[in-house]
Amino acid sequence: MTKVIDVELRGIMKKFQSNVVVQNFNLQVEQGEFISFLGPSGCGKTTTLNMIAGFLDPDGGDLLIKGQRMNGVPPYKRELGMVFQTYSLFPHMTVAENIAYGLKLRKVSKQEMQERVNRVLGLVKLPNVADRYPKQLSGGQRQRIAIARALVIEPSLLLLDEPLSNLDAKLREELRDELKRLHHEIGVTTIFVTHDQEEALALSDRIVVMNHGFVEQIGTPLEIYNQPASEFVHTFIGKTNRLEGEVIGIDGDVLTLRTTGGMLVKAAKQQRTVALHEKVIIFIRPEKIKLTDTAVSEEANRVKGHLQLASFLGSYTECEVKVGEHTLSVKVQMTDSSVDRQEGQTVYCQWNADDVLVMPAGRG
Amino acid sequence: MSKRLSVTLLTAPAMILLLGVFILPMLMMLLLSFQDENQAFSFHNYSLFVQDPYYLEILWRTIRVSLWTVLACLLLGFPVAMYMAQATGKMRGIVTMLILAPHLISVVIRNFGWVVVLGEKGWINETLMSLGLIDQPLRLLYNELGIVIGLTDSFIAYMVLAIATSLYAIDSSLNKAASILGASRARTFFSVTLPLCLPGMIAGTTLVFSLSMSAFVTPALMGGTSVKVMPVIAYEQIMATLNWPLGAALAFLLLGSTILLVTLYTKLIETKRYKEVFAS
Repeated sequence: MTKVIDVELRGIMKKFQSNVVVQNFNLQVEQGEFISFLGPSGCGKTTTLNMIAGFLDPDGGDLLIKGQRMNGVPPYKRELGMVFQTYSLFPHMTVAENIAYGLKLRKVSKQEMQERVNRVLGLVKLPNVADRYPKQLSGGQRQRIAIARALVIEPSLLLLDEPLSNLDAKLREELRDELKRLHHEIGVTTIFVTHDQEEALALSDRIVVMNHGFVEQIGTPLEIYNQPASEFVHTFIGKTNRLEGEVIGIDGDVLTLRTTGGMLVKAAKQQRTVALHEKVIIFIRPEKIKLTDTAVSEEANRVKGHLQLASFLGSYTECEVKVGEHTLSVKVQMTDSSVDRQEGQTVYCQWNADDVLVMPAGRG
Repeated sequence: MSKRLSVTLLTAPAMILLLGVFILPMLMMLLLSFQDENQAFSFHNYSLFVQDPYYLEILWRTIRVSLWTVLACLLLGFPVAMYMAQATGKMRGIVTMLILAPHLISVVIRNFGWVVVLGEKGWINETLMSLGLIDQPLRLLYNELGIVIGLTDSFIAYMVLAIATSLYAIDSSLNKAASILGASRARTFFSVTLPLCLPGMIAGTTLVFSLSMSAFVTPALMGGTSVKVMPVIAYEQIMATLNWPLGAALAFLLLGSTILLVTLYTKLIETKRYKEVFAS
């Protein structure tokens, strides 16, 4: 089966005055895919989305939707659905009128309009609000209606511009699951802009991590998390322990590293080659480190330290362990036997050589 | 209790002033309007007005001129307000200043300025004649057109600012939402922007209409002696003819008509839906 490409960005570039905000963006989005643009504010993710929507025109490169070049085509001729951070429902129209707006413009018959409005209201699980005005709805309800309004025209592409950012934590999670369910149900190709890594990891088939107008990495959530292409990607996604050091030994597939604090770390061979005596940055995820009371260990790395801080957070406990000059962050799952640790206690941190990520220092 | 007392005390000076210089004289004028020549209570002045086509025509002209002024202010002012709404903060300040700047000059001076521009030997007529576009000078002054031009110049600022305030409050992403749903710019304007600045348009039109109905200086200077409006004949009755009761009656007829028309207008436009959407 050949893959159908719904959206293609070829060397897209955008500048405001002399300020380049998006640089050489290349991407192919497959039909039915859920893609996230993830990055801190000002990284160019919203600008790119606005170019796909047609609110901005690229200063370089080509944008193709369903194989057709879209540069210069106004938004109202692109047949897209879009959901905004601020809901953007028309306050002077009822819920039904809001949803029917796009259908009216497409000259859909009254009866069909009614049917389709009811269908999407059912889809977003709000069948009884058709006659209300947006301001009579809660934030979560408004965003569901905004999603319904975008979906009712059966767009070739659904654009989501931080749709969950204005909601409080609990609602955000609820609506996030809702988005996932909707995507499974409808299968519409979706581009989702967010600065929230958890949202991106939870929803996406692939994630585009952006920083300062550049694409840092494009990959599945697992790839992004486990094989980050750059220090930025690694530190932006999830928590991590970052140590600086030097390669002091290469023995087959095992690297021996010494940190600036004098700690020895064994690491499995990396995707990127590093040379002997090269300065490197060492990353270890907090959840990869195990805490034990005894020095008995099957792992390649084992260091002795003092438990400084233990914050109980429900399903896990976040610990800070002082090891020589370093402070390691450790995430202990509740399933662990080591539930009731005392602060100040002597502990052993252990981790596998495969769980150490080494990057040459001063190179991204 | 003490808070209520302090509120009362703080507003007292203004209240006393209003009572003394506004409410009491109004009541005295109202009583005066019901007096005949022998100072007896009578509806004489009002029945005189209703029975005389001359007066009725003047009331109708006052309304007509005011409506044209409202329309001119709306059509000319809307684009300016739109420009202000999408301008940056600095540009917005400059435009606001430009709109208000003419009000630093007395309305009399500004009206004489229009006389220079619009007169038979004014530069508009001179230019058109020298270009050979017209043989006879156009009558732009001392008729209803002249009054409408003068009033529009005087009151357009109110319309612009009222509409702009409404436009500022519209979330710009609504335009984006309409556009992505398939609405052209014109369609977006008529289906989203225009309905949402209805409160500003109502405020602006009501304000300009009321001000135009009661305007005196501009109609007197730019309407000349033959094209009179209600405030002008009320003034004449009081100052020239010294028929104070009739002058007072004319003033109250003007006030009553204005209130009646404005009330009808807002009742008509502020439907149930309008209230549901715009009630705070």
